[in-house]
Amino acid sequence: MTDTLAPTEAPMAARHSPTGAAPLIEFRQVEKTYSNGFQAVEPFDLTVGRGEIVSLVGPSGCGKTTVIRMAAGLSTVTGGDLIRRTEQLAYVFQDPTLLAWRNVRSNVELVAKLKGIDKATRAAAASAAISTVGLDAFQKSLPRQLSGGMKMRVSLARAITSAPELMMMDEPFAALDEFTRENMQKELLRLWRLNDFGAMFITHSISEAVTLGHRIVVMAAKPGRITTIIDSPSPPTKDDAPRDLDALAATARTISKLLAGEES
Amino acid sequence: MTTLTPTPTSTTGRSTAPEAPKTVAVRPRNRAVFVRRFVLPPVVAAVIGLALWQLVIVVFALPPYLLPGPIDVWEAFLDRAVSMLPAAWVTMQEAIFGFLLALGSGFLAALIMARWAIAERGLYPYLVLLQTIPIVAVAPLFVVWFGAGMTTNVLVAAMIAVFPVAANTLQGLKSTDRNLVQLYRMAGAPPRVQLFSLRVPAALPSILTGLRIASGSSVIGAIVGEFVAGIGGGEGGLGYVITLNATQLRTPDLFVAVLLASAVSLVLFGIVATIESQLLKRWHESALPAEE
Repeated sequence: MTDTLAPTEAPMAARHSPTGAAPLIEFRQVEKTYSNGFQAVEPFDLTVGRGEIVSLVGPSGCGKTTVIRMAAGLSTVTGGDLIRRTEQLAYVFQDPTLLAWRNVRSNVELVAKLKGIDKATRAAAASAAISTVGLDAFQKSLPRQLSGGMKMRVSLARAITSAPELMMMDEPFAALDEFTRENMQKELLRLWRLNDFGAMFITHSISEAVTLGHRIVVMAAKPGRITTIIDSPSPPTKDDAPRDLDALAATARTISKLLAGEES
Repeated sequence: MTTLTPTPTSTTGRSTAPEAPKTVAVRPRNRAVFVRRFVLPPVVAAVIGLALWQLVIVVFALPPYLLPGPIDVWEAFLDRAVSMLPAAWVTMQEAIFGFLLALGSGFLAALIMARWAIAERGLYPYLVLLQTIPIVAVAPLFVVWFGAGMTTNVLVAAMIAVFPVAANTLQGLKSTDRNLVQLYRMAGAPPRVQLFSLRVPAALPSILTGLRIASGSSVIGAIVGEFVAGIGGGEGGLGYVITLNATQLRTPDLFVAVLLASAVSLVLFGIVATIESQLLKRWHESALPAEE
């Protein structure tokens, strides 16, 4: 079922785990079937290593969100083993999901506060996160006073304030215009270079999946399943090394054909 | 990288973040426009309405005990309004206490129902049942149990006002953004924190809508209570005054009492609307200026 292209998963995970540590999360023949008998995702294997970004791309109804909801513990696993080696999770939704009555700083500190992180620590982390996403001047602003892109930056800042080891991102940039979306992708990679988190990134956009992912998981619908896992020929690096755009474009074309083949 | 500011680790120097938006007061361009748009239409409608009313009186030669004209009512108002103020004050106190009682009990019931689904299944049908009971039919029972006077009137006011508070609060508490609830759950926030830090503030617009409805209902409840249980001797409210004037066919005075009852409602409504505006004006669409 799962077709992992070379190089295989284990060396890839090791490549993003300098210490050779075990993956942050492992799906072993995990599947999800709802009580009405509908199988959302067929059994699949997948790992996310430390500091690794795994993009999940596929059509609507292929089970992308189900996969990360299971990873986050928001949805139960009905078959197989799901091994998560961290509790330091952050979830970024498609909508910014901010508290409308709280200002930017208060929103950024929210999750850290709920997790019981002490005031001084979370204030320092929030300040750094707000600076990182370029919203210093907007700390007292309410969400309604911000643009869509700025709200999403607040959401990202909130996620990194709780110092996650694993970020789960459910189409976070889907509602943004193309220009803002491109900026946010760069922003995310910059945050990734500054904070060593692994991430599962769901998207409908092939180019976004290729831009962000060290590996790209291609999924198909009816039934929801993983069809292919592709290693990026030129993944993002910590030193922001120039990337081979031709190779990335070729990968995007490959994924496009895979998805078109599934649809036809 | 085309971000708005350099990273904290950047060596490019000072932040180039854009300035925070300045708050700009948006007012109508001038007073004349405001008056033309918002003051003139209701004033003109009132003048036309009053003129038609007076015309009907004159054309059909109706006696004041049947239908007083606006001039009769105005004269009665000047003559009797001040002497009716103590009655209006009694009604207002009953309505306020009834409103507060409805607020406390309705809010508590909604919290319990929102927290435990089984409580909602058990309690909500009875709350609806409470709403369907004709208040005029129950008021005499309250007189039997609590005697004629303020206690009964307060309870009648509370009984009629509790449903909008409970139903709207419950609706608001159950409408919290699912993603926000998951965010709290993932952060390990206990249900109590989830309730008071997320669900109650998110439900405020619904809660306040319930309170606005309840503010009017509580005045109606107080007056209905007074119809049944009102007492004289300077302690009766507007309901008592209305009953008295109706039986003596002092119709212009009755109109004055009705106007005062309406004023009591407006005062309560105004208090709730002011609190609502203060609580929501910074963040909720319903309380933002139209131009924003």
